[in-house]
Amino acid sequence: MTLFRLAARNVARNTRRSALTLGGVAVGFAAIAMAGGFVAQSFQALREGTIRGGTGHLQIADAAAFDGGPDASRDHPVVQAARVEALVAADPEVAVVLPRIEFVALVSSGSRSFPCVGTGVDPAGEARAMDAASSVVRGRWLADGGERGVVLGAGLAKALGVSPGDVVGMLSGTPERGLHSVRAVVAGIAALPFQELDDRAVFTTVDLAGELLAAPGEVSKLAVVLKDRADPAVVLERLLGTLRAAGLPLAGRTWRELAHFYRQVRLLYIGIFGFMGAVIVVVVLLAAANTMMMAASERTREVGTLRALGTRASRVRNLLIAEGLLLGIAGSVAGAALSLLLRLVLNHAGIVLPPPPGVARPVPLHIQLFPLAYAVGACVMTATLAAAAYVPARRAARRPIVEALAHV
Amino acid sequence: MEESPSTPILEGRGLLRTYRLGAVAVPALRGVDLAVAPSDFVVLRGPSGSGKTTLINLLGLLDRPDGGGVWLDGRSVAALDDDQLSDCRRDRFGFVFQTFNLVPVLTAAENVEYPMVLRHAPAALRRRRSRELLSRVGLEGKADVRPDLLSGGERQRVAIARALANDPEVVLADEPTASLDSRGAEGVLDLMQRLHEDRAVALVVSTHDPRVAGRARRVVTLVDGRVESST
Repeated sequence: MTLFRLAARNVARNTRRSALTLGGVAVGFAAIAMAGGFVAQSFQALREGTIRGGTGHLQIADAAAFDGGPDASRDHPVVQAARVEALVAADPEVAVVLPRIEFVALVSSGSRSFPCVGTGVDPAGEARAMDAASSVVRGRWLADGGERGVVLGAGLAKALGVSPGDVVGMLSGTPERGLHSVRAVVAGIAALPFQELDDRAVFTTVDLAGELLAAPGEVSKLAVVLKDRADPAVVLERLLGTLRAAGLPLAGRTWRELAHFYRQVRLLYIGIFGFMGAVIVVVVLLAAANTMMMAASERTREVGTLRALGTRASRVRNLLIAEGLLLGIAGSVAGAALSLLLRLVLNHAGIVLPPPPGVARPVPLHIQLFPLAYAVGACVMTATLAAAAYVPARRAARRPIVEALAHV
Repeated sequence: MEESPSTPILEGRGLLRTYRLGAVAVPALRGVDLAVAPSDFVVLRGPSGSGKTTLINLLGLLDRPDGGGVWLDGRSVAALDDDQLSDCRRDRFGFVFQTFNLVPVLTAAENVEYPMVLRHAPAALRRRRSRELLSRVGLEGKADVRPDLLSGGERQRVAIARALANDPEVVLADEPTASLDSRGAEGVLDLMQRLHEDRAVALVVSTHDPRVAGRARRVVTLVDGRVESST
């Protein structure tokens, strides 16, 4: 009769009480597993939103473009951009290379003018790899082939009072400290996830942006989208090595380094769900401690008998803790089954959530199967039950034998 | 000191024990000497509250005296720690309680095996020995039955088999027939006497039952925590 076998018999002795405890553990486990799955899904959506929202998996530019101020990318363009683009695109793990020109300008509809943050892009590449094209809510995305068009953030379009088909002017400084302007047709209006961006963003073609800045053919950054499962840090290191070997000493950043917002939201979510997890643990701990206390109290005389027969105090303590561990393990198994069932139901319920931070549209509720949350849930619940059993176990083991035997 | 026929295996000298009920001190033993020789059969008699159970507890190393001491094979156990006392109880004593005190989740055979488990005896040996002991107490057909399905007499027989599991030198029985009807009590007494004679194990039995006293080699009568007589 091993310790765990005896513990299992004791757990099975009071079926109603054990079932209640198991239920509590299972619900606690399910809460952790479901919250973990939801958070994992949210992080993935946020990650994809960050990458597909324009950042890409990687960005490559002159080192000064990353480290300087707002005009740094204009002042430090990528040298031999076409050659760099070709070298980067040749990497087997690169899916798309997107040349960009970033600029600040004054955009005007004639009667009204507003400052804007502009990006000159490759329309076809962006449409294939990024979300900007799909965020167009009126009109259309930019077309290839030398179109003199712009896509405006919805807030900016509203402020300017323009619609698709209208003409706007853009005025910007040139590298020679002069001013240059271009006129463009509003091709479309995009709903962007952040209000600040929505009120300021302008997308146009690389060619028109180059014309505005009086720097035709220039590229300030290359955004790189990788194939699935590629590790951005590893690919970046390899690409920079390739470029250095070709005499092109450029710098690069991964999306994690560039996405401050992602890091902030991630920390916020971890804080919120960590607190929620702590509350769940405390609730389960208190409920289980009560159960274990009753179990130990009811068996006081039995514990006295075991001690009288020569059972060491440590073995009595371990026996009761083993009962807690078994309840924790069994509860975790039940919790895993419950989580899988709930996940199945919720994922097929068609529930739509409001847009999370950094995402423009409402998203369907999807609870991810996140094995780490299951593992953490099992460890936390099992440890919680063992901890709940510890105090009553210690008390029972230390109780004088004669007193325990006389217990009624 | 009470005289025993040969060198004592277990000895209590000047045993004092006082319990506290709130602010009130209740003396249970007021200086009791008792020596138990190998193969002895000692019956402790006396009215309720005379100190019989307290004496059994002290001799069985279930409790520590406030004064005096217990000697096992001529060596004081006062310096032994809790684990060492546990090991002594496991290896050298068998206990039979008034209310049987079987572990309800274990079968009769498993209850008998339990002290051997504590001694890390191999499973095959445990099984063989538990069946043999149950057979000896007349319960060969009840090995796989849990205590709640056994009669009072059968439970006490299982408890006796359990007490003998590790081949102890002394079996201490506290009112072993008090919870049994007269038929059950007779059966248990017959069994204990037979086992005592067959196995040469020392028996110390506290009882109110005059039938038990009639079978003993020595009868020690306690009154108010003192030895009143020893015959």
